[in-house]
Amino acid sequence: MAPRTMNRDKIRFRASKLSARRRGLIIAVVGLALLATGCTQTESFHSAGDLARPVGMTHVLLMPPDISLAEVTAAGLLEPNAEWTEMARPHILNALREMLGERNAELVTYQEAPPDSEAFHAATQLVKLHNAVGQSIIIHKYAGGNALPTKEDKFDWSLGSRAARLRDDYGADYALFVYLRDSYASAGRVALVVIGALLGGYVPGGLQFGFASLVDLHTGDVVWFNLLVSETGDLRDAESAREACERLLDEFPL
Amino acid sequence: MTRRWGRALLPLILLAAASCVTPGGEPGALTDIAPGERPTLESDEAGLWMEVDRIENNLKTSGHIVRDPELNAYVRDIVCRLTTDYCEDLRIYIVQVPHFNAAMYPSGMMQVWTGLLLRAENEAQLAYVLGHEIGHYLRRHSIQQWRGVRGIADALVFVQIVAAAAGQGYLGYVAQLAALGSIFAFSREQEREADQIGFELMARAGYDAGEAGRIWEALIEEREAADDPERFIFFSTHPSSEERMETLDRLAGEYSGQAGLTKTNQDAFIDATRAFRTAWLRDEVRKRDHGGFQVVLDNLIEAGEGVGALHFFQGEMHRLRGDDGDESEAVAAYRRALEAGGAPAETHRSLGLLMWKAGELGEAGRAFEDYLAAAPEAEDRAMIDSYLRQIEGDQR
Repeated sequence: MAPRTMNRDKIRFRASKLSARRRGLIIAVVGLALLATGCTQTESFHSAGDLARPVGMTHVLLMPPDISLAEVTAAGLLEPNAEWTEMARPHILNALREMLGERNAELVTYQEAPPDSEAFHAATQLVKLHNAVGQSIIIHKYAGGNALPTKEDKFDWSLGSRAARLRDDYGADYALFVYLRDSYASAGRVALVVIGALLGGYVPGGLQFGFASLVDLHTGDVVWFNLLVSETGDLRDAESAREACERLLDEFPL
Repeated sequence: MTRRWGRALLPLILLAAASCVTPGGEPGALTDIAPGERPTLESDEAGLWMEVDRIENNLKTSGHIVRDPELNAYVRDIVCRLTTDYCEDLRIYIVQVPHFNAAMYPSGMMQVWTGLLLRAENEAQLAYVLGHEIGHYLRRHSIQQWRGVRGIADALVFVQIVAAAAGQGYLGYVAQLAALGSIFAFSREQEREADQIGFELMARAGYDAGEAGRIWEALIEEREAADDPERFIFFSTHPSSEERMETLDRLAGEYSGQAGLTKTNQDAFIDATRAFRTAWLRDEVRKRDHGGFQVVLDNLIEAGEGVGALHFFQGEMHRLRGDDGDESEAVAAYRRALEAGGAPAETHRSLGLLMWKAGELGEAGRAFEDYLAAAPEAEDRAMIDSYLRQIEGDQR
């Protein structure tokens, strides 16, 4: 197999001193570290070389996007909001479909299997595995202090050969996994942001955070990965959702 | 008992903060959820359900779910007899976790941990705990708690800013402590309410109401013997087990005049759980809370069901603890297990290991041979064969 090299932006982060166990916390910290360099940031990784493209249309299976929108309370708690999440979902699906269409790729829609079926079990395990792998990539690739010695100058993460199951079930070449969180400041939080600014401090308001990865369904390898952190944007709005998806698919290899 | 998973909320909390304000709304202030009801999309409750649905989706494919259809049907049937109207709204997952607990999520997902099924002595005790969980669902405790926490935290953050701006920053910490205390008190109040509902549901279904308090007796005993006992009550989300036991016994006294409340269904309970007990005991002994495990074992041995296996686990506890005198206690327990019958094949192996350690080569060899005879397909057969060859060599 050809050695893989990593295409890496020049952004460098301060080493995180957090324990590797506190995954969620590290991910939040990585998000804030990214933000410290600007209002909206993305940073992507991919494996070396051109991706194999079948002759004609490339079929990309969109796994069920993991989306949740929430309100930030004055104290900084997140209150999940089902209505906003349902508003955002079609905007995101439409944007992704359009964008892939522009790249001569067709988005294959994931069909939810009955909860007790073996197909449901297999697909859900892959989604869970992708969540774990995605979080590991964020922790070990984005937070400087946590780089794994064995993966320092390469990008070789994989969901393993079982991902081929999706190729067989859907006739797709790649699977696209999308994870998006967006939050908006409540009135109380906005007041606090203003008070904070008046006192010379910084109180964060809402935050857009997401990651996406493209998995080669022949090998199970993660061939592209991107992290998005932004203090602006609104997934409840079609146009703004499209902008967020464009940033999310930054340097998308297809 | 039954740490309720309004705690599902905790990961959502970015800043742990709170205040000296009384929590918003007393328990029961909301209308009970109606059968088949789902929150409207724009409500905060729908947001909570959305997050919980995500947890449930992951749980469905968890390797820790006990999928045996008969055991699931048995537990489900109890729930449906306790609450016919809400039977369709509740989804029960038996989760293989060796701790005494059950949990209700706001959306109707209920978890029953195997540690509870091992510790309950009969169906009436299980029914009481299930009824308690149903109480959390009926009263919408999770959303009440979330609203309380949100309100308290919001108030606190402004109190802290004012205190800091006035140069009295320590007042902010005082407020925070008071706030935490009030959140926990609120939670304890909800637990009391769920206890009451659980009790009423079990009594209405005809179960012996005295059993509700009895499950606490065993739990108090276990906690006192545990290697790491519970922490300070002020920060506990639950009323003390002693208090609950007393309350339930008082309630049982009030019901004792009523005829027909005698059902414990002990035989049905033991029939339903018997096949799983060895696996559950294995999980318990691996926790290495030797003191607590001893209480669980004593209670099960006293109940008298499947004592051969219980003596085996008694031996395992001694063997794993390894204090002075534990090895001879373990050997004695393994012998009792073999004598009583029904002990797992590993009893011979554990006995063989201790005999070998004690230099009793003949006995060790015999025990290993007995192990292979009892479990010809054992995964560690090659290893045991190598032990036998070593012992044979040493004996020459």
